[in-house]
Amino acid sequence: MRRSNNGLWWPGVTLFLALLLGPAGPAAAASPELRLSPNQVDIGTFFEGAAVKIEGTMPAGTTAVVEVVGSEATEHLLRKGRRGGLWMSVGEIQVHHAPSLYMLLSSAAKIPEFTGAATPWGFAALAKQVTFSGSLQPQEEDKFFQEFMGLKQGEKLYRVMPDALHTSAPQKGQVAFQGMLPLPAKVPPGQYKVRLAVVGQGRMLAHQDAVLTVKMVGFPATLSNLARQQGLLYGLVAVLIAIITGFIMGFLFKGKTAH
Amino acid sequence: MWNLYLPIAGTSINIVLLFGLGGAVGFLSGLFGVGGGFLMTPLLLMVGIPSTVAAASDSNQIVAASTSGSYAHWRMGNVDFKMGFLLLIGGVIGGTFGVQIIKVLRAMGNADFVIKITYVLMLGIVGFYMFMESLQALRKKGVIEAKKVEAEPGRPSIYVRMIQALPWQMRFEKSGVTLSVLLPLILGVLVGILAAIMGVGGGFIMVPVMVYMLRMPMHVVVGTSLFQILFTCINVTVMQSVTNHNVDLVLAVILLVGSTLGAQIGAKISQRLHADQLKILLASIVLLVMVQILVSLILSPAHLLAYKGGH
Repeated sequence: MRRSNNGLWWPGVTLFLALLLGPAGPAAAASPELRLSPNQVDIGTFFEGAAVKIEGTMPAGTTAVVEVVGSEATEHLLRKGRRGGLWMSVGEIQVHHAPSLYMLLSSAAKIPEFTGAATPWGFAALAKQVTFSGSLQPQEEDKFFQEFMGLKQGEKLYRVMPDALHTSAPQKGQVAFQGMLPLPAKVPPGQYKVRLAVVGQGRMLAHQDAVLTVKMVGFPATLSNLARQQGLLYGLVAVLIAIITGFIMGFLFKGKTAH
Repeated sequence: MWNLYLPIAGTSINIVLLFGLGGAVGFLSGLFGVGGGFLMTPLLLMVGIPSTVAAASDSNQIVAASTSGSYAHWRMGNVDFKMGFLLLIGGVIGGTFGVQIIKVLRAMGNADFVIKITYVLMLGIVGFYMFMESLQALRKKGVIEAKKVEAEPGRPSIYVRMIQALPWQMRFEKSGVTLSVLLPLILGVLVGILAAIMGVGGGFIMVPVMVYMLRMPMHVVVGTSLFQILFTCINVTVMQSVTNHNVDLVLAVILLVGSTLGAQIGAKISQRLHADQLKILLASIVLLVMVQILVSLILSPAHLLAYKGGH
């Protein structure tokens, strides 16, 4: 009896759960995948920026949002203003919790937003994270946030790229996507957090994280380490190279013009 | 293609572009005896080098350009070492004072205003005076004798009587002048203060000071100025490397290869040009830089925020 009751009860629960989760079908499918190629970018002698291939899969009918975020630091900036009718630096502003790099890519023509909740990505989300101190009034923070964004976007370190992830035709309920992450030459070495968010019905259905490493290697790394760890030696070597080059050039010219 | 990564600047840049910039500024350095910092640093900022790295690496490349230029001028007998050392000692003392003045001004929040105004005024006064004086000299030469022009700086003014009355008179053979030891020392201090306030080597102030106040011949002025700049920039390069770690050797080496070549060509051409032609050319460049700075002070900037550092 008990056994037969159980036999009737469990399929009922299963059916109930299946109906309950049914509408969120895409999320119930296989978890999303995220791959970076390469997952380490080397900054060598001839580095002039790099493109990292982002690819993965997500359930059909959803949108992919990939967020690439660098480590947070405090930036020291100068505020420009008018003094005596002339534009010049009028004070220092510190910008806190600003990532060294911020890139946002999406498979949709418009970056998806949450319904009924704050969207955790995009410049609007950064505005809540970034704080200011120094010579500015609280009511000026919005204005200087926009200025800060303009500065970073000008350096191509902050970018929002809708429609940058291209999707393929669905197969077995899954859609493959791929895109290129353009890292500028100014990308600072470090570890970058890469998050794929699968969005559907105005909310995040699933996410997948990866790490992108940007590392200085070879001659630039040796030189950078020497400059930071052996400042005096580095300075003397720099002066010596300059003096020797100056003399060599002078000597070469002397020979050429002696005719 | 043709791009190199600059490890301290943290960016990549075209080698040909840097070489060209170095060559052009080195040419002017060899021609006029100025370090070229007042030209090179703004140019480096324009091509995307962070301001602190631009200023520090520029000092390093000036070491090479001024070595090359000093060597070329020394071979031609255009370096007055005695005068150069006295100006250098004064410059170091003045530079130390200038740094303290800037510290006080920064604490008062007026540093940038004073720096910019000093820059514009100095460039304006030096450029305008040199331009007008050289123009007058060139005109006179066409009409009357050149002798008067040469004699003009020596007209018996209060200034001449005053410097002749100073103690410790010394003969400077290379320059062909007899002056008190105090004069180059005092003028060195004044230029050092101004250079420290403006954050530049001071060559473009030192050259007119040597011409008009020390009454040195233009060709000796160029060689002696380069010799003095060499030591100033060696000091700045080492200090920047030790305290701020912002000398980019890759950037400096590309610039200095270009600038040393340019300096040699400049030094050769300076021998062929008349002193007044040299002065009028330098005055024109100084005035152009002054106008460019003035325009940047008047026009609204693209961004109200800028990275801290540099000149």
